[in-house]
Amino acid sequence: MERLRTGIENLDRILHGGIPLYSLNIVSGSPGSGKTILVQNIVFNNVKNGLRCLYMTTISESQLKLVRHLQEFRFFSDDFIGERFIYDDLGTFIRKEGSVRALEYIMEVVRKHRPNILVIDSFKVIRDMFNDEKAFKTFVFDLAASLSVWEVTVFLVGEYREEETNTLSEFAIADGIFHLYGQEEKRFQKRYLRILKLRGTDFERGEHLFEITPAGIVVYPRTKPETEKLTYAALQDKKPFGIPELDEMLDGGLRKGTVTLLSGGTGTGKTTFALKFLLEGAVSGERGLFISFEESPNQLMHNASQLGWDLSRYVQKGTITLQFVSPIELDVDKHILALMETIEKSDIERLVLDSISSFESSVIDLQKYKDYLWALTQTLKAQGVTSIFTVLTEDLFSPLVVTKTQTSLLADNIIILRYVEKNSAIRKALSILKARGTCHSRDLREYEITPGGIEILGKLDAVDMLR
Amino acid sequence: MKVPEVTKKITHYEQLLNGIWSSSIKYLGAFSVQLLIERVVFDVAAEYREIELMRWNEKGISCNEIAEALKDRPDFPIDDMFTRFITKYVEILAKLVGSEKAEKILERIKSELGKEA
Repeated sequence: MERLRTGIENLDRILHGGIPLYSLNIVSGSPGSGKTILVQNIVFNNVKNGLRCLYMTTISESQLKLVRHLQEFRFFSDDFIGERFIYDDLGTFIRKEGSVRALEYIMEVVRKHRPNILVIDSFKVIRDMFNDEKAFKTFVFDLAASLSVWEVTVFLVGEYREEETNTLSEFAIADGIFHLYGQEEKRFQKRYLRILKLRGTDFERGEHLFEITPAGIVVYPRTKPETEKLTYAALQDKKPFGIPELDEMLDGGLRKGTVTLLSGGTGTGKTTFALKFLLEGAVSGERGLFISFEESPNQLMHNASQLGWDLSRYVQKGTITLQFVSPIELDVDKHILALMETIEKSDIERLVLDSISSFESSVIDLQKYKDYLWALTQTLKAQGVTSIFTVLTEDLFSPLVVTKTQTSLLADNIIILRYVEKNSAIRKALSILKARGTCHSRDLREYEITPGGIEILGKLDAVDMLR
Repeated sequence: MKVPEVTKKITHYEQLLNGIWSSSIKYLGAFSVQLLIERVVFDVAAEYREIELMRWNEKGISCNEIAEALKDRPDFPIDDMFTRFITKYVEILAKLVGSEKAEKILERIKSELGKEA
């Protein structure tokens, strides 16, 4: 099926290439949700490619306002106005002549200009101009049928609430329904787009974040793993930490392409273990990415130098990339997309997220957080990236609470770092709770973090582990 | 009384168009086919105003008024006008329903016309 490309990169991806040609689409949403800007962005992208658009407005003087507001966007160009971008005031015509002749007028203008794209903004206003529902239904049906033979792709823009998309007659004849809405999440005013219907083609369902930027609309597709990539093979290669005793406990290291939860209370050394994992990879030339929600790159490099590790050398070489993301400013929808792009482009083999507890606190909806994490882990596994997610446990002495959100189910390996009491002193102990597909050690080993790095000591007696 | 050559020709095209009509209806429905004809008439009229004398309703197409207007104009390019009409019709149909379905409609028309011949 031929498609009209929207020219908005990720929107075309969600639409699997674009909107079917000659379809009739409704762009709905509350005032200020970004409907007009979305449609104008699509229209200008196509007008620049040689197509012709007829933009019919229904509110007096709105054309002037539209132009004034749109010229702020980079997609706007007045070079095409009047030639390939034709404005027409449908509202004034209907107010003067009545709604009975509305269809006749629209078709007259379509015949005159022969547009590839027709926009009526706002269509809801036309609905309000009709005296009765039956007459409006007839108008809508005739409009859709009449336009269908004029090779025109139609956008009807309207201030509709989502529940109206199930009840109003115009939605029954629409081939496509794009619903836009916004909500406040953790101080962020976020905008979302959902495709409720698109006849004749498959598309990515669900809630997609979008932003209105000076360049125009930027869409961040809902994070989900590519279904065909989910059939990834179990990889046998091992990725060692470079801590001999720990690697021995893991039967050689973490299996390639697995996700490891490194759980522990504050000060147990989660970040240090994770850094060592990246450093060990870097020595062998493997690219590593460290996403920190808590410490800046400078702080991390300083911490590493205190342990005798030359992290900055690998950062300068580009083998290790350190990124600090403020959890206060974190927008998970955008971040995951950027993260996946970095992993793909930079050929990342080892990844650390430090910590996903900060990640969790930035998401308002717990289910959404779980969905993101699931999609992220599946995609990382499919790409063969060996990942460590650090998790902060609130109970310093108990290994039982790995995470409140059942994230442990996603992990292939779980390494627990915790405090224990020994001879009236607080010591640190390490254990491997699980390591899928590996004959791992069940020992409880004491460890120390010293200026020489991480040192794994002997086994602890069971008595010492009890509180 | 001998039927003029022009009228014969137009009657032939009328049959052909009604063949297209009945085949298209199965895919598009009578309402859409009427709209499509209206659009093709509009396009072809830019060159041949006489096509606007074509009449149609839910039962089919009539070219009687065209035949009446052209009966004394033997030099009028009837073939060209109707060929343009059919070409335009199929061209739009192909865009709207896809070339595969448009091809099927054409094949059906050809086979029906073959039977008549």
